[in-house]
Amino acid sequence: MPSHPLRVAVVCSSNQNRSMEAHSILSKRGFEVRSFGTGSHVKLPGPAPDKPNVYDFKTTYEQMYNDLVRKDKELYTQNGILHMLDRNKRIKSKPERFQLCKEKFDLVITCEERVYDQVLEDLNSREQETMQPVHVINVDIQDNHEEATLGAFLICELCQCIQHTDDMENEIDELLQEFEDKSNRPFLHTVCFY
Amino acid sequence: MDISSKAEDTPKGVDMTTSEKVVELLNQASLIPTDEKLTALKQVQELIINKDPSLLDNFLDEIIAFQTDKSIEVKKFVIGFIEEACKRDNELLVRLIANLNMLLKDESVNVVKKAILTLTQLYKVTLQWLVSSKTLSEMQEACWDLITQMKGEVLALLDSDNDGVRTHSIKFTESLIITLSPRTPDSDVPKRQDADISLDKVPKDHSYIHYGTLCEEGKSALEKLLKFMVHPAISSINLTTALGSLATIARQRPMFMSEVVQAYETLHANLPPTLAKSQVSSVRKNLKLHLVAVLKHPCSVEFQGQISTLLLDLGMPQTEITRNTPVPREPRKRPRYEQYTEGKKVKIEPALMEDDEDKEEPAPLAAPKPAAVPAVQSALDLTAEFLHPLLTPENVANLVLISMVYLPDVMPASFQATYTPVESAGTDAQIKHLARMMATQMTAAGIGPGLEQSKAKGDEACKEEQSEEDSTAKDILIKRKVPAVILGQAISVVGGYSEKPSATEPPAAPKRLPEPILPSAPTKLMGASGRKKVFRLSDVVQPLSDTQNEKLTSSAVKRILHSEKAIAQSGMSHIRVKLLSRLVTQFEGMMKEDVLQFILEDIRSRSDLAFSLLYQEYNTYLSQLPSGLLDSYDQCLFTLLSGLQEKPEQRDGLFTKLVLEAPIITESALEVIRRYCEDESRVYLGMTTLKELIVKRPSRQFQYLHVLLDLSSNEKEKVRTTALAFLKRMYEKDQLRDYIEKFALNYLQLLVHPNPPSLLFGADKDTEVAAPWTEETVRQCLFLYLSLLPLNHRLVHELASVYTEAIADIKRSVLRAIEQPIRGMGMNSPELLLLVENCPKGAETLVTRCLHILTDKVPPSPELVERVRDLYHKRVPDVRFLIPVINGLEKNEVIQALPKLIKLNPIVVKEVFNRLLGTQHSEGSSSVSPLTPGDLLIALHNIDSVKCDMKSIIKATNLCFAERNVYTSEVLAVVMQQLMEQNPLPMLLMRTVIQSLTMYPRLGGFVMNILSRLIVKQVWKYPKVWEGFVKCCQRTKPQSYSVLLQLPPAQLASVFERCPEMRAPLLQHVHSFTPHQQAHIPSSIMAVLEAHKKPEPSPVEKEMEHNPVIEETNFAVEKEVELPVQQEPVFIKYDEEPMEQEESEPVIQEETGESLSQEDLARDIDTPPPQPETPEESMEESHPETSDQDPVKEAEVDISDVETGTGTEDID
Repeated sequence: MPSHPLRVAVVCSSNQNRSMEAHSILSKRGFEVRSFGTGSHVKLPGPAPDKPNVYDFKTTYEQMYNDLVRKDKELYTQNGILHMLDRNKRIKSKPERFQLCKEKFDLVITCEERVYDQVLEDLNSREQETMQPVHVINVDIQDNHEEATLGAFLICELCQCIQHTDDMENEIDELLQEFEDKSNRPFLHTVCFY
Repeated sequence: MDISSKAEDTPKGVDMTTSEKVVELLNQASLIPTDEKLTALKQVQELIINKDPSLLDNFLDEIIAFQTDKSIEVKKFVIGFIEEACKRDNELLVRLIANLNMLLKDESVNVVKKAILTLTQLYKVTLQWLVSSKTLSEMQEACWDLITQMKGEVLALLDSDNDGVRTHSIKFTESLIITLSPRTPDSDVPKRQDADISLDKVPKDHSYIHYGTLCEEGKSALEKLLKFMVHPAISSINLTTALGSLATIARQRPMFMSEVVQAYETLHANLPPTLAKSQVSSVRKNLKLHLVAVLKHPCSVEFQGQISTLLLDLGMPQTEITRNTPVPREPRKRPRYEQYTEGKKVKIEPALMEDDEDKEEPAPLAAPKPAAVPAVQSALDLTAEFLHPLLTPENVANLVLISMVYLPDVMPASFQATYTPVESAGTDAQIKHLARMMATQMTAAGIGPGLEQSKAKGDEACKEEQSEEDSTAKDILIKRKVPAVILGQAISVVGGYSEKPSATEPPAAPKRLPEPILPSAPTKLMGASGRKKVFRLSDVVQPLSDTQNEKLTSSAVKRILHSEKAIAQSGMSHIRVKLLSRLVTQFEGMMKEDVLQFILEDIRSRSDLAFSLLYQEYNTYLSQLPSGLLDSYDQCLFTLLSGLQEKPEQRDGLFTKLVLEAPIITESALEVIRRYCEDESRVYLGMTTLKELIVKRPSRQFQYLHVLLDLSSNEKEKVRTTALAFLKRMYEKDQLRDYIEKFALNYLQLLVHPNPPSLLFGADKDTEVAAPWTEETVRQCLFLYLSLLPLNHRLVHELASVYTEAIADIKRSVLRAIEQPIRGMGMNSPELLLLVENCPKGAETLVTRCLHILTDKVPPSPELVERVRDLYHKRVPDVRFLIPVINGLEKNEVIQALPKLIKLNPIVVKEVFNRLLGTQHSEGSSSVSPLTPGDLLIALHNIDSVKCDMKSIIKATNLCFAERNVYTSEVLAVVMQQLMEQNPLPMLLMRTVIQSLTMYPRLGGFVMNILSRLIVKQVWKYPKVWEGFVKCCQRTKPQSYSVLLQLPPAQLASVFERCPEMRAPLLQHVHSFTPHQQAHIPSSIMAVLEAHKKPEPSPVEKEMEHNPVIEETNFAVEKEVELPVQQEPVFIKYDEEPMEQEESEPVIQEETGESLSQEDLARDIDTPPPQPETPEESMEESHPETSDQDPVKEAEVDISDVETGTGTEDID
């Protein structure tokens, strides 16, 4: 076991569905976890594919919820968005942007390759100071409720395994290979430094 | 100490001073658990570093003391504290750096990693501080020396076994390279590191920090990093880290950009074959990211071509590349670079003039820098240029065809991931790119005209570099925990790659050798001898003779064998083990024995070799199936096991491990295991191993079980009992139960044979000699069976059937052996009850023995009594069955059985009485007898003399009188009272009265009363009793005078007839009466008293009185006609020695007491000495007509036997 609890960040694009689902499960399992989005805005599905609801990262989940209720309560109840926002607001007040967070993590898990690239770009563009390593792992998860749940469990299992390693850095490579075989999906994995 | 004194000194106030707070926190911290401790310590750090740094010095020692804390987190805190403290007050470095050094060698990798991070910071801090320090001190110099040493150690950690440690070491190296190289105007400088030290700020005249040395160290660090990166088995994380580090270095120190780009190119063409598919994508993504970062740097202009080609290959669209390409600033860039080199030269020159010592340093510093960079650059370039014109479509097609042969069977993950369809095939740009790619490969492999040229050009400095290269190349081969397989893979893939260029050679450059290139092949060889002549192995070597061959082989193996330590140090012992086991199994001969011997010399540390060898042997066997023989494997396993078995003091379970992990246990191995089990000091371990085998290898479990079963009759007790204990546990397992049971019964069946089968003597004894059964051999057959018996009661019937068939000796042994198990079964066992109920013919003694065992300590249960009663009444009327359960019988049943019982062997009779009287030596719970002691005595008196001879009855009553504690005067009084009231009077009445009187003289009055009453009952009508009456009167005179006077005259006369000496005293007695009293004496009485008065001399009288011998005279009554019923002469002896008997009785009891209920009884039942027939026959032949007589006879003989034995009793 590593001597201190793993500090985990889960990152998706809008900090709504995938990262929040994982955030919810991980914190229930006792992890010290934060969740983020990397997008420039928070986007939620709208009445049509080309008409998303766009908010900035300052908008609280509560406000979004109220906004959507006002717009079309039935539609957003049916597609589960309201339920998701309701869950989110009970976890934290509003979405957060990864690029603005200065906290240091041991492990950053991203939910799609684009997000992974953005996280890497951001971490590499920061000035190195302590040289403390942070492992970034990408787990591809489609952005829908079911996949988010499945993905969250996979992430959780991964975190638990990592948490239980004696020497995370020495074993993570092998662990990820095992997980790749088991879950039959590739993980991107790299290390950055604060 | 410090703390406490401070705490006392400062007055306690509401506002605690910072110092007090710190003291309190520190005190707490040493006592509380880790979590809170960290919080407290962090507060302390905040207080003394940020709030009041003046306290830092005071509390330094206290905080540093926590570095010995067990918790990793606390240690890491201390490291963090050291960093903060040293940054705050550089002077502290002198004191703290040694602590950091200690922590750097901590056993926890997490602590080491943290220490590396801190050293990364403190190295810069130290350098800065020392460079700017005004004063010089030895302490500072020592500090610098230590930190330099630590730097070396961390660099060496690039070869650590731990991935994370390597990662940290890479980052340290990166920081070191940047610190130990000059910052130039075109360097990217992160804002935070603006004030950081770099080489250009180091003065050239420092007394112990040498500019030149630092510069060289920086460069060598970069070289190390570059070497590290091309390791074929580098982990993906290390590679990613190194890629990032190189990008940072390139941006912050553009002077190294050429090396960095070169390294990227090499890597891209030579991705480590060990990477998995997803890792390849991760690495490529990183490479792209870092390339873009480098590209963005203004100094990249020179390398834009290469970088954009790489980026294109990595799948980046041209537009994006262009977007990231900086606007060329040719006019500004060039001069800057030159300016830097020039500027340095300018700077160096004054130094040259000033200081003689530095004279030589600037020269190599300045010279190789521009030279080295172009050297590599140009080698690659030259080769690329050389290849370019050769790549005609025809050549390329040939190349492709030739290399087809060398393609691996499976597409390597790296290739699959990196493959992009060639877009602009055949264009000049593409050919150039291809040439360059091939050149990269060739240069990396150490061949190509470019390299040769540059080498030829190279001066001594270059050669040095090269030799260094060689040595590191070797390093790469030796160090590292890469499994051999991966190494092999690495070689093959690299070889596959390099096949291409080498295949080009024949058409393009015939001078080159078409040999495959191994990465380890030193480049020098190629360069030196490559062109002279074609080398053919057969030209220079001759075949060796067989003996030479053999000798060389074995000495080679021996060398490998004995280089154990050296190889262990290099961390490659697993390869050695593998090599040895393969060699030894492949080649026959002495080698195998040598290796086995070698292993056995120190098997503990060489067990891995042992296992490897064993598995290899097994593998060989498997590969030769179905015709393969196990001989070789068997010999190997056998030698190892025997070696372990014979070795004393082998306690670490290696034997067990070997047995359990061996793929097959051969016969001979099993034999060794058996021997191991027979060793008393290791029996437990051995049998545990055997048990594991039985449980874990079900396919042959019966074979193993059989060994254990065999051991259960081993002659060594410890072995046997352990085996039995194990078997008992296994007996509970269903699949083993039958087998064990069958085995036990088979052994039991052996007892039927007239002579013990040879099986019992082990294989070495002669099977034909018919030895008699002994206690030992009988027990051998019984051990297992008897330990199973309490677990499975049904087995008891088997014993019974065997018992009936066995010979007498065996029977005796069996009876002796069954006590424990039968007691274990208990009298409630339905199977035992069934046995009693059925009691097979011939097993009567066995059943009796069982009954005795069961009732030895506890009263019999009603069920048991019922069964015995049934048996006795319906089937085998042998009274001896009743004895064990006698206390469970009804009163009248006991009385009925008494005549038979008392005719038994005296010892048995004694036992019966003990049971009845409750005088049995039992622990607690004495059974309640159906007869009170009084009842018993009365019953004895009432035994019909037809059924039993008087002698036995007398002996039986004597037994009663012997129990003085039971037969108290009160009990006896009641008995006498009741006996006297019977009609007719029991024959033994007066004997009992006299006995009682002798025992308890105070009963005198009571006895007189009895006598008087007897007169009323006309006692003279019973001659025997009358005889006793007279005797009693004689004894109790003068008390008895009044009784005598109550007799009718005729009887009184009869008394005097018998005892004439009584008359005179009685007469005297009457004379002493008062005249009034005398008047009451009838004249007829007086007549009797006086009529026969003869002048007898008084001395005679006295003599008579004093001579008891005469009194003792027994009177025979055979002439008495009143007792016609008597068939046999009955002798009643009113003996006077009850005391004597009482004394002797306990002696007998002591002698027989313990064994009475056990062996002697059994023997008695089994084989009564005088009877030649075997006991079961006597039991069998107990036909109704003889049954009455036989026991009588038996009893008689028994008694006489005892008499002759003791010779003291005078019964006749």
